[in-house]
Amino acid sequence: MDYVIYIIPQMIAGIGVSLNIFVLTLLFAIPLGFLMALGRLSKIQPIRKAVEFYVWLMRGTPLMLQLFFFYFALPAVGILLSDFNAAIVAFVFNYSAYFCEIFRSGIGAIPKGQYEAAHTLGMSYTQTMRRIILPQVVRIVLPPVSNETITLVKDTSLVYVLAMNDLMRTTRNLVQRDFNMTPFLVAAAFYLFATFILTEIFNRIEKKYSKHVQQ
Amino acid sequence: MADVKVKIRNLKKSYGNLEVIKGIDLDICEGEVIALVGPSGCGKSTFLRCINKLEDVTGGSIVIEGMTLCEEKNGKVHYAPEQEVRKIVSHTGMVFQQFNLFPHMTVLENLIEAPIQVQKRNPQECIVEARELLKKVGLADKENAYPSQLSGGQQQRVAIARGLAMNPGVMLFDEPTSALDPELTVEVLKIMQELAAEKMTMVVVTHEMGFARDVASKVIFIDEGIIKEQGDPHEVFGNPKSERLRQFLKVLLK
Repeated sequence: MDYVIYIIPQMIAGIGVSLNIFVLTLLFAIPLGFLMALGRLSKIQPIRKAVEFYVWLMRGTPLMLQLFFFYFALPAVGILLSDFNAAIVAFVFNYSAYFCEIFRSGIGAIPKGQYEAAHTLGMSYTQTMRRIILPQVVRIVLPPVSNETITLVKDTSLVYVLAMNDLMRTTRNLVQRDFNMTPFLVAAAFYLFATFILTEIFNRIEKKYSKHVQQ
Repeated sequence: MADVKVKIRNLKKSYGNLEVIKGIDLDICEGEVIALVGPSGCGKSTFLRCINKLEDVTGGSIVIEGMTLCEEKNGKVHYAPEQEVRKIVSHTGMVFQQFNLFPHMTVLENLIEAPIQVQKRNPQECIVEARELLKKVGLADKENAYPSQLSGGQQQRVAIARGLAMNPGVMLFDEPTSALDPELTVEVLKIMQELAAEKMTMVVVTHEMGFARDVASKVIFIDEGIIKEQGDPHEVFGNPKSERLRQFLKVLLK
């Protein structure tokens, strides 16, 4: 127990890095994914095709490869990113592709009749999206978004390969230094705790947006 | 001559090479209840949906309450600018076969949404008016219910009230009872009959020949994209001139 208390401050520093990546990724990837979903549903074919290509590229290559690319390959063309920035860029690019597909399927699940009803009531595109379509989309996309968010918690550990001192690397360093396996357990507890909190948050939001659905 | 609410001239609609509506002229006058009947695929729903631009016409002109929605110039159809279109369209109320209520809003919220958001009216005033309308369609006790908690007939009555909440000049009904069983059909038709008695201008696409005969002031029989026969319901149904209408009625009234 004393050992656990002794390592916790160092692990918290690692959590700070992981949490930073997590929050920043969500902050950028969700709006970006949403905009791309609109592009994916656009009537303008070049926009649609471009987004399709982007999604294919980002979902079709490993996130680790993307991390390597932004950190090690971009300097070759004169773009130098710090390890943290490279990580954020890679995560945002990767996750926005997944969010794009989630939002696209959510928007696609709303019946045409909803748009038609809004049209006959004289509502504009913005009003229709904001007041009619999106509130219904939120309910549909919450479970997959929650899934993706929980995956992100654990994917942050991939920045290990850029030698960033996130929770995972800190843990590994402690294990090697002290020759004690306990940090692994503590790290697992942290990841589980984060997942627990997220699950709770999403359950609440889901309840809020499902009150119109008959139980 | 009563006030003309909607003036339609030479309306045409094609999907690619397939011409669904081949030139329809129609004046919808104030207080008229027009029943559009005809075999499935004859274009009657498409025609109705052209009036509020759920479908873009490929020819002809539509004028609603003096405002030009679209007109044909040199063989090309020109629609009014988008903002203008929204304003014109909101002068028509639409009731769909599948109700299309907003499922995430309560009954009351469904009714006041467009008056507040589109017409920018005072919310308190809208609520008072919406409650009046709910009373009229017999659902005063359901204002806080969600659509999923209502029967099909109740949902359709809410949809009618939602259309009326915009104070439209004309109400369009696209097979309003086709998704309902006979018992629920009756309650919806009763509301429509009451509206007709109040001299609401209505255009109804329907398979309910009883309604067309007893409530409509004019029946229009559409077949193969044109108006084949029109006139007083008793005249049209009692003394059909075309073989096509005779056949159609024979099958329906059997």
